[in-house]
Amino acid sequence: MGMTTGGVPFSLTRLLIVAGNTFTEAVRQKLFNFLLLLAVALVASAQFFREFNFGSSELKFISDFGLGAMVFFGSTLTIAATAQLFFSEIENRTALTILAKPIWRTEFIFGKFLGVFAVLGVFCALTTLLLAGLLCSRENSLMALHPDAFPGGRIIHYGDLMAMGMLQWLKFGVLAAITLLIASFSNTNLYTVVMSFFMLVICHLQYLAHDTYAQVASLPLRLLVRLLGYVFPNFQVFNLADQVATGVGLDAGVVLRVAGYALAYIAVIGGLAVYSFRNREI
Amino acid sequence: MTPSASPVAIEIRGLTKDFPLNLRGIKLRAVENLTLSVPEGRVFGLLGPNGSGKSTTIKIILGLLEPTVGECRVFGVPSGRVDSRLNVGYLPEAPYFYRYLSGTELVRFYARICGVPRKRLDDRVKEVIDWVGLSGAAQRRVGTYSKGMLQRIGLAQALVHDPRLIILDEPTAGVDPVGSAEISELILKLKAQGKTVLITSHLLAQIEDVCDRVAILDRGKLILEGDVNELVGQRDRQALIVDPLSPEHLDELRGWLASRGHALNAVEQPRARLDQLFISRVSRSEKGGQK
Ligand SMILES: Nc1ncnc2c1ncn2[C@@H]1O[C@H](COP(=O)(O)OP(=O)(O)OP(=O)(O)O)[C@@H](O)[C@H]1O
Ligand SMILES: [Mg+2]
Repeated sequence: MGMTTGGVPFSLTRLLIVAGNTFTEAVRQKLFNFLLLLAVALVASAQFFREFNFGSSELKFISDFGLGAMVFFGSTLTIAATAQLFFSEIENRTALTILAKPIWRTEFIFGKFLGVFAVLGVFCALTTLLLAGLLCSRENSLMALHPDAFPGGRIIHYGDLMAMGMLQWLKFGVLAAITLLIASFSNTNLYTVVMSFFMLVICHLQYLAHDTYAQVASLPLRLLVRLLGYVFPNFQVFNLADQVATGVGLDAGVVLRVAGYALAYIAVIGGLAVYSFRNREI
Repeated sequence: MTPSASPVAIEIRGLTKDFPLNLRGIKLRAVENLTLSVPEGRVFGLLGPNGSGKSTTIKIILGLLEPTVGECRVFGVPSGRVDSRLNVGYLPEAPYFYRYLSGTELVRFYARICGVPRKRLDDRVKEVIDWVGLSGAAQRRVGTYSKGMLQRIGLAQALVHDPRLIILDEPTAGVDPVGSAEISELILKLKAQGKTVLITSHLLAQIEDVCDRVAILDRGKLILEGDVNELVGQRDRQALIVDPLSPEHLDELRGWLASRGHALNAVEQPRARLDQLFISRVSRSEKGGQK
């Protein structure tokens, strides 16, 4: 079942065919309806904040809320989509037919990942554009109303907003890889989804343990927390929202380091998923 | 022809498969010490009651399951290696396919996975869909297909890359009698092209019609294997079918036979078989695949 040398070389074409089919499924199963929900939430919230008349800090509210909604809906979409697009292949036994073809399991699983990742890319791109559009139109009208509140011109760094969108995309990629790994050995869809949400919470909150135990605890405990910090990716590092809407701006070096962090985790977790799936009996 | 004299498509040696049932290490033995070889160019029937290990054996041949003990080779290549599946087409039992694709898209997807060259792709997809009689429904979503139509589209995807070995796990389950007869015809056509076919089915009449050789499994063990003609043929008997005879003529015939040392063992009224009646009455153009 594994990588034993055979006459069939690894094929990027087959991987892309699987990815394309996965994307088609997402479109036809209407997974993008999530976007609609999110768009409604965003536009409604922007309208809502306007009532309070915060002036220029209203923009920060919109931006924070928008990125928050993107993280919430995006995480849900990531787990739901990965479970639907990968695990249901095993559950519905469609994996039986495809894995009986001359295809490497590695091609299959990375094809699935790439398909899911493309879905998440479309989601993040559209959400970021929508958010940028909302912010821009509101910023224009605020600038016209209170020119004195914008002494240095625009407050929002739109380039940074795009960078944030991309970082969220990479973070969802890490989450998709985690879900894929869980699905590769799990027996039910519910287990896959619940475990993945559990992992999501751990990855978001592990910095708390880090911060608390780093000072107080004894050495072995401190080492354990350190170790866990390496095993579970820290999703807090992707949260650079504060810099976007306060005019501080993102440091390109930081963005690149965070992107590298995500890609490293995707590679390692994806590799583990391949290893675990290779020996799975279908 | 003994299997060792002719080339072998599938070679199974000492195969045992256990499934762990629970954490206390209790196991279920689905296949036990099975040794079997399927000669190339023949139609081979794998028979046995429910749960006797037919599908498990097939999944091991395809590398979907790992044998607990023993080995299995397809055209000399150990199962489990990707290249052992290069020349194999497989129809799973009770198949289920991507609901969101149309019949054509589905077959096209599998054809591309199997590396059918782009310029022959569309023709080939159309051709196999025609063969299985689904042209009329090819543009519909697979999710709307009936059970028999799913079997047919499954057959199309198994054949699309023109494999040398075709493995069909209960291809006629849920297919109407006309469709079953067509699948039998298709199998014989494949055999005429020199393909090897491994088929499981509970329709023994059909197996008898298409298979050269059969093996019977019972609770995971091989209990009988042999050529169909040797197993069920009655060489010392013949049947004549004639127009109705009057009693006098029958007596005359009996006397004529007796004078030559033969006995008339039975006089029966042959009945048309129900499936033949069905096939002759139901028009072929109205079967499940058409609009
Ligand atoms: N994944 C599995 N886990 C546990 N037991 C299994 C598994 N797959 C099959 N079995 C058991 O192995 C035995 C053989 O099953 P198999 O599907 O090979 O039977 P079969 O001959 O194909 O039967 P049928 O005619 O009903 O299709 C059965 O007792 C079945 O319960
Ligand atoms: Mg079976």
